[in-house]
Amino acid sequence: MILAPIRSAMRGAGYTLVLLLESLGLFGHWWRRRRAIFSQMHVIGTQSLLITCFFMLLVGMVFALQTGIEFARFGQTNLVALVIVSAMVRELGPWMTAFVLIARVGSSMAAEIGTMKVSEEIDALEVMSINPASFVVMPRVIAYAIMGPVLTVLGTCVGIMGGALVAYVQLGVKLDDFLRWAERGAEPLDIYWGLLKSLVFNLSAAAVACSNGMRTSGGAVGVGRASRNTVVICLTLTVFFNYLLTSFYRMVKKLVSGAV
Amino acid sequence: MSDNTTSRRSPSIRDRGPVVDFNGVCKKLAGRQILDGLSFQVRRGENFVIIGYSGTGKSVTLRNMVGLMKPDAGSIRIEGDEITTMNERELETMRRRFGVLFQSGALIAWLTVEENVELPLQEHTRMSRKRRAEVVRDKLELVNLWQDRAKYPAEISGGMKKRAGLARAIALDPEIVLYDEPTSGLDPVIAHEIDNLIIALRNKLGMTQIIVTHDMQSAYAIADRIGMFYHGRMIQMGSPEEIRTSEVPEVRHFITGGTEGAVSRRSVTAILTGRAPGAQSMRSEAAIAEKVLADARKEDTPAEEPAPQQEEKTA
Repeated sequence: MILAPIRSAMRGAGYTLVLLLESLGLFGHWWRRRRAIFSQMHVIGTQSLLITCFFMLLVGMVFALQTGIEFARFGQTNLVALVIVSAMVRELGPWMTAFVLIARVGSSMAAEIGTMKVSEEIDALEVMSINPASFVVMPRVIAYAIMGPVLTVLGTCVGIMGGALVAYVQLGVKLDDFLRWAERGAEPLDIYWGLLKSLVFNLSAAAVACSNGMRTSGGAVGVGRASRNTVVICLTLTVFFNYLLTSFYRMVKKLVSGAV
Repeated sequence: MSDNTTSRRSPSIRDRGPVVDFNGVCKKLAGRQILDGLSFQVRRGENFVIIGYSGTGKSVTLRNMVGLMKPDAGSIRIEGDEITTMNERELETMRRRFGVLFQSGALIAWLTVEENVELPLQEHTRMSRKRRAEVVRDKLELVNLWQDRAKYPAEISGGMKKRAGLARAIALDPEIVLYDEPTSGLDPVIAHEIDNLIIALRNKLGMTQIIVTHDMQSAYAIADRIGMFYHGRMIQMGSPEEIRTSEVPEVRHFITGGTEGAVSRRSVTAILTGRAPGAQSMRSEAAIAEKVLADARKEDTPAEEPAPQQEEKTA
């Protein structure tokens, strides 16, 4: 039947949502799970720091070069600073960091929980009356939701630095010119919005990864499938939420400033 | 033994009834009738071994017993308490009476052997750190794993994983211990060691134990009673001796590894004429006959051969 995959997708989405809400509701266990939360923060945050920074640095550099080519045609290379800062804070920072984390953390998180599921570890927790949502899922979701925005802030800064570097070395923009224009690039609202985006992207990625892991069945093949589905679904959700949140941003901005 | 929270109930009334009581339990999974009127009782302090072909629902039976799965029909009583109508909270309390050893040990990968055994104590008791360490040491010494306490599950062998899983299963001194194929994948020497552990647990700690296995040698060694699981029911229950000398063809077929007996039409006569000593079911004789006849018809072709394929047993 054609409806079967749709129905199973809806069931999956429902399970993911319930799991997310349940694990957030179990946040009260944080003291008992502090060790797990910290070790997950280390895996998700500290260990992803280098790759995120490298990635964002190059994104900033390429972005500066590409926009610099266009602005140079009008003799306005200084504007590079404005564009880089606004794009990094509002768009590229949250988005690209989320991508890096999905590839590096989301897929392995699904595989790890999926392996626990097929090797009966999740069942073992249940018969020991230990709720897997509290023991396994909650520390991961919380750590992901904390470290995602933290890495986004760091990544955005590094990205802007990369842009400034290229602007100075290759485009000939003076550093104080860059800084002057950079100030106009982002208002507080932009920064809050960037953080909101980052929180939404990373929270949804964590929920999808854990839910796919918990629903794994069928041995090694199943673990592979869970990991693949996680990456595909997370990327899709991220671009979707990105569009949605950008539309809201435009509405809010209109309300606040009256401008377009 | 320890001041854990598994309350020691007064032994007066409860001791007389069976510890585990399955009554006409049915369960359908993915269109297949896995449990079909399954009934059996396990008495206090006995080693009850469930044997049967692979993929016939022995694990489903265990999952129903601890409430991880709910049956479609029938009743399951644990020490007199009906568990099929319990809510999740009551089930959690009920599960504390159980220790379960999973096939692969199911140790948590990021915890050491010691931390794995400590886990249930940490989660469910208010013991001091020192007291917990004592209990962990007790259990690990019992399974002879104290010297490997600091290793991670990935660093130890299959037999050690099972012993560690057993130490964890009995950490809270449960009244009932379930084993899912405790000797599968082990060499004979280690399998023998596990058998001895199971016997020791019953003798020393008086635990009621239910063991699902394929390994007949181990079954004879550890069992007080053996039940043969076939097509969702207990086809025969009895002492190891009764099973060894059983004349029920399915049982003969299973225990001899397919060299004797056959899963065939003859089993119908066996059940109809009451030659199967332990064969029992909640259903009427007529219903049994109908079912067995249908099964026999289905399996007629391979079943007429004297020695059906060996794979059936190990698959």
